[in-house]
Amino acid sequence: MRINTTRFGRIDVDVADVLMFPSGLPGLEDCREWALLADSTNDALGWLQSTSRGDIAMAVVSPRRFVPEYQVRIPRSELTPLAIADIRQAQVVVVVGHNGTSLTLNLKAPIVINLEARTGRQVVASGELPMQFELSPTQPTLKKSA
Amino acid sequence: MLVLSRQRDESIMIGDNIVVTIVDIRGDKVRLGINAPSEIPVHRQEVYEAIQRENLRASRLEPGDTQGIGKLAGRGSLGGQPKPDGNGPHRQ
Repeated sequence: MRINTTRFGRIDVDVADVLMFPSGLPGLEDCREWALLADSTNDALGWLQSTSRGDIAMAVVSPRRFVPEYQVRIPRSELTPLAIADIRQAQVVVVVGHNGTSLTLNLKAPIVINLEARTGRQVVASGELPMQFELSPTQPTLKKSA
Repeated sequence: MLVLSRQRDESIMIGDNIVVTIVDIRGDKVRLGINAPSEIPVHRQEVYEAIQRENLRASRLEPGDTQGIGKLAGRGSLGGQPKPDGNGPHRQ
């Protein structure tokens, strides 16, 4: 499958690698098929690229890599459509955003992917978690002078 | 909009497989119990709308915006982060 993307130019995606999101993503309900791309310059980063809209892509990261204490609790009913009994069977990624000053992570609504079945879904995690977890400080850290 | 009056412990049915029960009424707060098939997502509206807004904003991110993100790995801590929002819905 060939996709003309605004960010990455023309890319070829193996049809077997396409992820199905039967409910789309909130706000992007029409985008049901996505390809997970590796970022060419940053191995911590991936991109979920819509296969139907070349201009739609979401940067995603593995949340524990950035927030080691993040423990995602998801109501079982949210996982049933993915045929996942246990969250440990799934790949969990979170969407990277930008609030004007910092990169942010949406820890409240992670994306859960059943890699075996190639299906995915954005879920609402239990507990008090921010949708805009600030990743980088606004100001560079001041260096101590002697 | 269809408007129905209900008392505590009374329910309404939506279609033949969604039941919404008035569990408790206290002051200006109503607690609802929702029984729905697992394939029907149930969300607090303001949470769902916030996710919609966040996704639309995130979908405008460009690769250049994420430069240096790798250096921030392992640095985030949930303590001291503002803006917590409500619990997700719970099903029984």
